[in-house]
Amino acid sequence: MADVTFSELTPLVEFVGVNRVYGQVVALDDCFFRLLPGELSFLVGPSGAGKTTLLRLINREIKPTRGEVWVDGLPAHDLSAKRLAELRRKVGVVFQDFKLLPRLTAAENVAFALQVTDLRIADGEARERALDALDAVGLHDRAEHYPHELSGAQQQRVAIARAVVSQPPLLIADEPTGNLDQETAWQISTLLEDIARFGTTVLVATHNMEIVHRLQRRVLTLSAGRIVDDQPAGRSARLLWATS
Amino acid sequence: MGNILRGPRPPRWRTVKVVVRNTFRYLVGGAIRNWLRNFGSTAPALGSMTLLLLLVGLGLVGAVVGQNIANTEARDASVLHVYLRDDATTDAVNALEAQLSGNPDVQSVAYVSKSEALARAQNRPGLPQLADAAESNPFPASLDVKIRSVDRVGAVDASVRHNPAVDSGVPSSYDPSAYRRFQQVLFWVAAVGIAFLILLAFIAVTVTANSIRAAILSRRDEIGIMQLVGAPRWMVRGPFVIEGAVTGAAAGALSGVLALVVCVFAVQAGASSFAQIAPGLTLKAGLVIGLFLFLAGPLLGSVSSLGSVRRHLES
Repeated sequence: MADVTFSELTPLVEFVGVNRVYGQVVALDDCFFRLLPGELSFLVGPSGAGKTTLLRLINREIKPTRGEVWVDGLPAHDLSAKRLAELRRKVGVVFQDFKLLPRLTAAENVAFALQVTDLRIADGEARERALDALDAVGLHDRAEHYPHELSGAQQQRVAIARAVVSQPPLLIADEPTGNLDQETAWQISTLLEDIARFGTTVLVATHNMEIVHRLQRRVLTLSAGRIVDDQPAGRSARLLWATS
Repeated sequence: MGNILRGPRPPRWRTVKVVVRNTFRYLVGGAIRNWLRNFGSTAPALGSMTLLLLLVGLGLVGAVVGQNIANTEARDASVLHVYLRDDATTDAVNALEAQLSGNPDVQSVAYVSKSEALARAQNRPGLPQLADAAESNPFPASLDVKIRSVDRVGAVDASVRHNPAVDSGVPSSYDPSAYRRFQQVLFWVAAVGIAFLILLAFIAVTVTANSIRAAILSRRDEIGIMQLVGAPRWMVRGPFVIEGAVTGAAAGALSGVLALVVCVFAVQAGASSFAQIAPGLTLKAGLVIGLFLFLAGPLLGSVSSLGSVRRHLES
């Protein structure tokens, strides 16, 4: 195992010359990068740099104008509408505004995501797995609370539990700490780090540079739609984990 | 995070049961729940669809009646009734019958006496009261002449209408333009009716599609989450199509019952009036029309919804 190098791993996400244009505005320009399994990476850059566009391309909410986007072997750039669900089951998504359903409890929100993607899951199993996911994010005792009864950080934890309950290989988060204070933002970040530790590739778009500096993970910097810097971090430690 | 574990897979029959239950719950249960919740926005669609289907039903009733009248007219058009004078002698009548029988355009000739004419009238809807009301038998004896071709009815009529045995006031049943006029009226009624129904169908489909659009908008958060977590497309769209089908089914049931009531009323009223209101219309025809509307409703509703869903639900 020790002779496997980091660059030999099959990438989970790969952007090949990706370009995305909105009318006359170039949102992403000639982007190349790869994300490896179990890698936690940050996507940083000023507002309007193209971070959200990049995440939306991974989840195929939008198509690239030019170039290729590969996610776990699926060509997201060229996927038919019929196969979109297949791609999205591979990608957990976390938003800044949580996007929880207000009429469902925390456990029901998590179970809902599970059952609408896999009809073979019975109510009992869905609930059990939802409670496991909530437990993993430290919210087992809030399972029966409705979103309005939870704090922002707790709601974000529920959203993360919902994103990972079906154990997708990739988790993308768009400003997951944007609505949180620094302390709770730090808690969410360590939670994302835990998720990556268990093998899920995590890509986080953020403005919170304090967290980026503290975690010392890979950082992709976007500016005016171009990846201007790709700063690796903790290479030896991550390689040790990835090949173990 | 490692403790989000999947247990061993249950037996196949239990999986099938779970899939059926979940599918029913998300598709049918969800659709009915939303239909009830959004009834305010669905009501106009329900109303317009019911109106459309009811008019289709009444159109079908009209078509049944029209078809029966057309058949009767076509049948009657080739039969010429030559009415005889009350004081015509037997010899004169025999001579006329022989003349007609010798005509190559004539297929057959049958003598109908005054009493037979009265008996026939008593079997025709509306006429028994008229026959009973008269003190003496008002119906003349006649020769019923079956003509080989409808086109030759005029020629046969011309050859006998001045015969001394023939009634000079109303010599025969021949009316050269009646059948043509009737066909023309039937054609225009059908054309205007179809155009009106197409317009109404367009309105009903548009209103239904708009109500489904409103339902989509009211559930956009839930739809967005379903799409983002990777719910299959049919599962996202299905409840809306079924919601439209439920609206259509309710409209179909309402209009079917109303059309059946109209048929029952027309049949009963026709049986007890001088002029038959809807000749040829039976309860069986009414039931078939009602059933047709009941089945057409869900189809119309689901097709309208599908159009709206395809238009307003992005992947």
